This record gives sequence, structure tokens and C-alpha cells, in this order.
Amino acid sequence: MDKLIDDELLVAQFKSGSQKAFDDLMKRYEQKIFGYLLRSVRNYEDAEELTLEVFFKAYRALNKWEPKAKFSTWLYTIASNLAIDYHRSKSRQPIYMYEDEEVIETRLVANDISSNPEKNIEDKERGHLIRKAVDELSSKQKAVFMLSRYEGLQIKEVAETLGMAEGTVKIHLHRAIKKLQTLLRPLWENNEI
Amino acid sequence: MPKCYRSEAHVIDYVYGELDPNMLPDFENHLTTCNQCTRKVFAYKHVLNLVDEAEEEFIPQPIAPYDLETKLYKRLAEVPPEKSSFYTQLLNNFDKVLLVFKEQKIASICTFAFAVIAIAFFVGNPFRPTPTYDVTPNTAADERIEQYRQQGIQRSLEDILRNKHLRYSDGWDTVSQLNRVKDQAKGTDWANVANKQLKRVQQTSDL
Ligand SMILES: [Zn+2]
Repeated sequence: MDKLIDDELLVAQFKSGSQKAFDDLMKRYEQKIFGYLLRSVRNYEDAEELTLEVFFKAYRALNKWEPKAKFSTWLYTIASNLAIDYHRSKSRQPIYMYEDEEVIETRLVANDISSNPEKNIEDKERGHLIRKAVDELSSKQKAVFMLSRYEGLQIKEVAETLGMAEGTVKIHLHRAIKKLQTLLRPLWENNEI
Repeated sequence: MPKCYRSEAHVIDYVYGELDPNMLPDFENHLTTCNQCTRKVFAYKHVLNLVDEAEEEFIPQPIAPYDLETKLYKRLAEVPPEKSSFYTQLLNNFDKVLLVFKEQKIASICTFAFAVIAIAFFVGNPFRPTPTYDVTPNTAADERIEQYRQQGIQRSLEDILRNKHLRYSDGWDTVSQLNRVKDQAKGTDWANVANKQLKRVQQTSDL
């Protein structure tokens, strides 16, 4: 709670002319935003560039920003939008238009995982395959999953961040987890449990 | 075994810790008797554990790139502050201007003349070559951006000088960087500093 008040205080100080206030806000959130973007895009340079873009946009818009939500929520909103745009511009694969296509994609990755000849997949390789499965989620599913699981946001806050109804967030979350379960099933059917 | 008709969404919510507290006791009770739901709970928990481990391995601790602040200042220094142009403002108010013309002729001419003067006064001369003026100038923000810009220049200079010894065999690189900063710093004290450093670097690389 303290932190929330502090953020608002820093924003107010920035609005009345303190540059240091913005530095403090940036120091406070750059790790988190960078971590979130790094998980989103899986590429250090791009994550750095996007993190910079988040604070650039925040700096330019902060004077007009009204603290209706938490400052951190606002930063995550900017970051999520940038990540979604990033994936949109990068995607060479068709965007999931129909559930059918999603199922096909799911099977492809599932095959990829189960076709690995080694029964005992090396830990690192396994981690890589699991993250590949996470990256197969649609950009909204991934955003919902990442924000709720690794950024410690409650469903309500995820809804605010992504501009969705709470019900929609839950639908994305359910789909994400179900999809992960389908994708990763071969991994534990093969050598675990 | 009879098929269980509990919603899978309940199972996921339960695993994720998002199940409505009012439904929790009932669902936990159900788990003691329903093998299918228990299996699902186990499977989802396992999947989430797998993903958690893989993500933990990916970023054990997020470490933001070195000196992001400096990079931000530099970027802010490169881009001029956002301002709405005179023409945008005129377009926005065009309907009002038109309305005045529909009223009396003399009044309209006077009003129009007054408007032109007023707009020129508040927004800036429309015939000047760079049409970027703010109707409500936010001087505090502009000053701050200028301060940021200068901080960016200062940090660029510091960076160049700090790294100079790393590539003293390649004096040309330092010179070109200093020249760029000198251009950026035009009109500020930093231009003099950059110039002084430039001379010093050129002298030492001549030797
Ligand atoms: Zn059941």
C-alpha cells in the first residue's frame, strides 16, 4: 500500500517539475517491466528496446496521466500493448482465427515434443520445449498468463491492464492453461508420473 | 465409473487459486470422492509446475539492461517535444470560423481579422517556416524535456570520454562521436565542452 502512495507522490512530483521523481519511478519498475517483456518476446535486445519504449511513452504521457489505476498497472498496459504489437508484426504464421487452427498448432508442437528420441530429455532442452509451448499461446492468452502468474497481478488487475472484462480474462486464462496441458502432456506421459 | 459433469473451469480455478471461496469447501469435498477431477487437478498442477520451473530457469532474476536511464535521456534528446501544429488547431476550429462568416459580413470580416491576429498571437505566426506551436504552451514540461535533453548530451559526452581509452588506437571513432554530440548540443554550453574535447583528442591522435 505504501508503494502505491509513493508512486502517486512521485508522479505528482514529476508533474510539478522533478526529473528525479521519474528516475525513481523508472528504477522502481525497470526490472519488472524488462522481465515481463523478456518473457513475452524471448529476446534480450528486443526486450531492452521495448522496455525503453515503455518508459519513453510513459515519460511523454505522464503529464496527462490521471491516477485512476495504479501507476504500475499503467506501465504494464503500455508494455502489454507493445508486446502484442511486437508479436503481430513478427508473426509469419497465420493469427489464430479459428479454434481448429489452434488445435492443429497444438498437435504440431505436441508431436515435436513427443518425437524427441531421448527418453530423458536434458533439463535445459526440456525447459526450452516448455517455453516454446508457452510461446504457442495467442498473444492475449500469453499476456493474461504471464501477468497473473509471474507479475503477481490479480485477475481484476489483469483485466484493468489489458482493458478486458474479468470474465474475458478468465476465459483467456482457462484456454491458456488447457492449451499448455495439451501441449505438454507428451512430456510427462513419456517419462514422468 | 460414471462421468463427472463438474465444469473443467472449476478445476482450473481451483488449481490456480481463483475458485470462489463460497464454492471451495464443496469442491474440496467433491475431490475426496471424484477420481476424474482429482486426476485433472493433479495434471494441471503438474503442468503449472513444469512451466514455472522452465520460466524460472529462463530468468532466475530479471536484470534490466545497464543504464537504461541514460538510453532514455538520449532518446528523449533525439525527439522534439510533441506539439500540435497551427494547421491542426485551425482545422479543429474551422466550423466556428465558418459559422461567423454566415452572420453579418462586416462583423464577420472584423471577427476574422481579430481571429487571425489572436491566433497569430497565441499560436505563433502561421507564415513562419516551422509550424509547430502549442496553443497552451506547457513550459514546465518543455523546460523539463530540454533539461533531459541536456542531461542526455552530458551523459553521451561522459560515455565517449570514459570509453576513449578503450579504443585510443581508433581516434577517428571518438572524433566522429564527439562531432555528433557537438551537433546535438548546438546552442548549449555542452557544445563548447565537446569542442574542447574534440581538439584534445585530435591533438593526441596527431602525435
Ligand atoms: Zn468430478
